[in-house]
Amino acid sequence: MARELPPIEEYGLIGDTRTAALVAGDGAIDWLCVPSFDGVPVFARLVGGATAGTFEVAPAGPATLSQRRYRPDSASLETTWDCGGGTLTLTDGMVAEVAERLLPTTLLVRRLEAAGRPIEVVINFDPRFGERRVQPRVERRGALLFCSWRRIALSVQASGGAVVEPGQPYRAVVMPDEPLTVSVCVADREPLVHVPPDAAWSALEDDEIRWRKWCLGITHDVPHRPAVVRSLLTLRLLTYSPTGAPVAAPTTSLPEELGGVRNWDYRYAWPRDASIGIGAFLGVGKDNEARRFMAWLRNATRLDRPRLPVLLDLHGRRPRPERELKGWPGYRGSVPVRSGNGAANQRQLDGYGWVLDAAWLLTRAEWRLYGETWRAMAAFADKIATQWRSTDAGIWEVRGDEAHHVHSKLMAWLALDRALRIAERRRTSAKRVRRWREQRDAVAAEIRERGFDPELGSYTRSYGSRDLDAALLVLPLLDIEPADSSRIRGTIDAIRRVLGAGGPLVYRYTPGSDGLPGTEGAFLACSFWLVQALAATGRRREASQLFDELIGCGSGLGLYAEEMDPTSHRLIGNYPQALSHAALVQAALALRDAALSDAGEVTPAESPQPEQAAERRAADADAARSGRRRRV
Amino acid sequence: MDWAGWAVFGLVATTLLTCVMIAAQMAGLTRLDLPLLLGTLVTADPDRARAAGFLVHLAMGQVFALGYAAVFALLDRATWWLGAILGLLHVTIALAALVPLLAGVNPRMASYRAGPSSTAVLEPPGLLGLNYGIQTPAVAIVAHLVYGTALGLLLTP
Repeated sequence: MARELPPIEEYGLIGDTRTAALVAGDGAIDWLCVPSFDGVPVFARLVGGATAGTFEVAPAGPATLSQRRYRPDSASLETTWDCGGGTLTLTDGMVAEVAERLLPTTLLVRRLEAAGRPIEVVINFDPRFGERRVQPRVERRGALLFCSWRRIALSVQASGGAVVEPGQPYRAVVMPDEPLTVSVCVADREPLVHVPPDAAWSALEDDEIRWRKWCLGITHDVPHRPAVVRSLLTLRLLTYSPTGAPVAAPTTSLPEELGGVRNWDYRYAWPRDASIGIGAFLGVGKDNEARRFMAWLRNATRLDRPRLPVLLDLHGRRPRPERELKGWPGYRGSVPVRSGNGAANQRQLDGYGWVLDAAWLLTRAEWRLYGETWRAMAAFADKIATQWRSTDAGIWEVRGDEAHHVHSKLMAWLALDRALRIAERRRTSAKRVRRWREQRDAVAAEIRERGFDPELGSYTRSYGSRDLDAALLVLPLLDIEPADSSRIRGTIDAIRRVLGAGGPLVYRYTPGSDGLPGTEGAFLACSFWLVQALAATGRRREASQLFDELIGCGSGLGLYAEEMDPTSHRLIGNYPQALSHAALVQAALALRDAALSDAGEVTPAESPQPEQAAERRAADADAARSGRRRRV
Repeated sequence: MDWAGWAVFGLVATTLLTCVMIAAQMAGLTRLDLPLLLGTLVTADPDRARAAGFLVHLAMGQVFALGYAAVFALLDRATWWLGAILGLLHVTIALAALVPLLAGVNPRMASYRAGPSSTAVLEPPGLLGLNYGIQTPAVAIVAHLVYGTALGLLLTP
């Protein structure tokens, strides 16, 4: 009988910052692309059906899942089953740090440990290649199993003499104190590097030490720090290390409505996400990650400047054209399954605001922009100064819905305002500054005149519309008007009233108003923006309460998808989603800043935290050694 | 061998090649920036790197021009089409071997194996420099054809 896919929130993420896998609570890896996030799927049962590949490791007999967790401050996932008189623990991980060592670029490690009694386990290794789910050419050389297609090869090796065969469940007995380890090495157009299981496990343990050290550098003064740390770890796992590109999510076509059509490919990088990530990482003292995002923005957008592309692939190229994968049944019947993302062809104006704001945050944190970085930012400001009067598709990328989105106009204002702030610290021509100022003021005037509905007492989704848009929750963070103004308060209250989905949940716009059949869930990033908005407008107690509730909305592992079904409270949409996690971190930082502000203390934005100060001191020392200022 | 021609026209040809590459960048055809890739061996500042890299690139162009001059001397002829053929050979070596190898020697360039501790910010060039734009090989071929043709026209055997 075909196994029913578990709920999305039952999956855990493991990754190596080049690609990532999703591991179900029953021990099956149902999603893995190699060698990169947007590479070829080899385990794709999640959306590709029973013949799309999986890698199951689980107890052979009756067992109940007793615990799932990440090993503390690491990317290694532990799944423990109660097997009647004994327990079986599966530890999964991917080795992230392979540079300067003879290790394969992708190294997956799975270890089974029994306690209490010997436990029989079953291993089902069944890789398939790509869209056509091609079975591999198989070869066995001693203990090593080779699976190869044209450009990709996998080698599998298990400890204790276990003999894994592709597509055939293999049974073994795990004795207490004698763990069974399986290592999977991947090669893409290069020779395979074989790593014996014990050496692979050792490499994973070394990685865990590095991740713990990395987590120590995260500020300690944020509420719900474990959730913040898990979010930051997830953001880092979803950052493609070879280029620094932030991947929106490791998956494609996890549905925004079960059985629905809102299934998109998120294995790409949005400049907007990089910019939000800069704020999140800077706020917790991880300046290096913030700088890498800015470097990615500078490098990846070069071909399109001064136009800011909506999204790019991991190497800064235009994504493949969007298409539907034939014969893929989708997650629980949610079709189509898409590859590529058609939003790349849209015109979106809000991205300029996010990017310029990120540049300002770095400048405010005393990172001096390189000449090229500033030229890029100034070019974006010039572009938006001439383009802001146009219609656009808006942040939500609704197909065929070009309009004068108020959120996009606000972000155009933000872009020009932040460019002006940076220009105060850079040599910029008076003519250019005057143009930016004139256009900024013109945007503000137009937004107030055409984007606000006095009857609703709220800014609206687009000019002349009476619809609301939860993206407007960023209003109090912009400084376009005082955070405690009646217009801003009115907008926040109207959004809660009209778009509230129960508890802390918020729809991004009126459900079903995007022209597609069916509906969708509550958008989790908007819920975190609501927390930020409340914290920024003096309603810290409400914000804190909502944040507490939202922390309970994640998966048991602290992961968040794009959306949540407000009725079933199931996570839906691509998973885990970087934007949700970045917004969680930003919300926690807003609560911290609000608490400090209430106590009359200087906020960290004005005075760096100890961890941040330490990282900046190290950067200062480097800069002093090289005779240069800290630059980005 | 035409030593005087090599000393002068090697610089001329490399400057022409660099101009073609910069023009292609300005036109949005490629993100391949050889002066930047070479200059980041000595500094992280993109502007300073380009200045330093331009000098390194000139020196490398001069070394390659020595090879062209030697081939012209060996064949006892120097024509524009012979220079162009050598330019094709040159660009093949540059794209297939030299540029990808930069990831191994430039600490500021990441490789496909980069992990979380990597502080390198330059993306790896990939096969034939395709990570820098799909038109990168075409731009590089044109630039090197210009370089080879110029040397074929200007050098004497």
